[in-house]
Amino acid sequence: MLRIKTVLFFLLVSCVSHAQEAGSFFTRQGTVTFFSYTSVENIKAENNQVLSIIDPSKGEIAVSILMRAFVFEKALMEEHFNESYIESDLYPKATFQGNIQDFDASGVGSQTKMISGNLTLHGITKAISIKTNINRVNGVYTFSGELELLVKDFNIRIPPILSPNIAKTIMVKFSFEYDETYEN
Amino acid sequence: MKTKKRILLFVLLLGTAMSYAQDLLTKLDSIEQGQDLPTLATFKATRISIGHSVETRKKGVLQISSMNRFWNDTVRSSQSFAADKWNARLGLEYGISDRITVGAAYGSGYQSIDAFFKYRWLRQQDTGKKFPFSLTVLQGAVYRNKATEILLGDLAFEDRLGFTTQLLIARKFSPNFSLQLSPTFVHKAEDGLLSGESASRLALGIGGRYKVGPHVSVVSEYYYVPDPITVVETYGAFALGVNWEVSDVMLQFKLTNARNFVEDKFITKTVNNFNFRDGNLHFGFHFTYVIHTQKR
Repeated sequence: MLRIKTVLFFLLVSCVSHAQEAGSFFTRQGTVTFFSYTSVENIKAENNQVLSIIDPSKGEIAVSILMRAFVFEKALMEEHFNESYIESDLYPKATFQGNIQDFDASGVGSQTKMISGNLTLHGITKAISIKTNINRVNGVYTFSGELELLVKDFNIRIPPILSPNIAKTIMVKFSFEYDETYEN
Repeated sequence: MKTKKRILLFVLLLGTAMSYAQDLLTKLDSIEQGQDLPTLATFKATRISIGHSVETRKKGVLQISSMNRFWNDTVRSSQSFAADKWNARLGLEYGISDRITVGAAYGSGYQSIDAFFKYRWLRQQDTGKKFPFSLTVLQGAVYRNKATEILLGDLAFEDRLGFTTQLLIARKFSPNFSLQLSPTFVHKAEDGLLSGESASRLALGIGGRYKVGPHVSVVSEYYYVPDPITVVETYGAFALGVNWEVSDVMLQFKLTNARNFVEDKFITKTVNNFNFRDGNLHFGFHFTYVIHTQKR
């Protein structure tokens, strides 16, 4: 009986200690911008409502991007993007979950790390690695970087008549500024 | 007793293990996103096929449209396929705001000038504060320069006018399927000149689209008039068509019995039935091009 009580005590302690280490960092206003450059036309769309969370102690990161929140210069382009290409009714979000390689959680200032994980877009999951600049100033983390995605990797169909207008490789830029959060 | 304790222990351990497994992405999923986004693209154009859809143009968007109908003459024996006669309407539509669109057009058939005002009142919303359907109000007016086939002779200005009021109610049931009901009130001044006829008439339109590919949809429309004019025999306007849109261009192909474009006329006074005989089968082709006059 004593042994059981001891085990229960340790379990309780471990639970409490977990609740304490919930010091994850969170943002609601992350920015993701993508660009399609071709000789015919340049397309740009920006999303300023990207959700992301990091857990520095474990070196983990997750990102959730609402596809409808991308704003295009042309209203009709935004409609086509959601309706005919990315199919946001069926796949409303793109998500990323990954680990920061050799992350130094205690480091202050700037560091460049690789983040590798799984990106899910248009219902297709692909393992990717992203070179990321990580900056920590006054307890605020900033993650920023660029990556390139191939349209064909995500089963996004472009009609042949428009293939000169839409790049095969889409350039993506991101910038997240995290504040500490205690919600678990 | 010992087993019970072991089970208890196991359950407790499992419990802690599961709280570990609640990963970061699950945490993000529990946070609501995009609460106030109305449902996008119930239809892809401001017309389903022959009649107005709930869609309006966004702010600063100018739409140029060329609507055409081709059909065969019944008297001449010709070798052409549905192209003896041609009627056209050239129009502009402009989005004053995301909710208000105005338009004007010239029609070749009756040398008509028509104008309309469209207000996107309610919008369907599938997330957050849900709302089941979209409602758009349309008010249109038309002036016809040429006398119609029924009333030859000189008509006064006010007798050449026609007005249409429509409530366009639509729901996007799935990413592929949308349906619209259009209760319609038509006032055609020339009809009131005929003895025993009323200038005003009610009608109900029903229309739908089914998306068969990312850029292609099949559309159909039908207008029912419960109390039609009796001087001539009229039939409900029907259309079956394919819409193809890509980039700034929308092409709408259709087979229909309606040879006119303005609502008051084709809804209440389509004088031929829908079949494949000469004079009845109309091939319709609408070309729509969109220009963004302001960038966001």
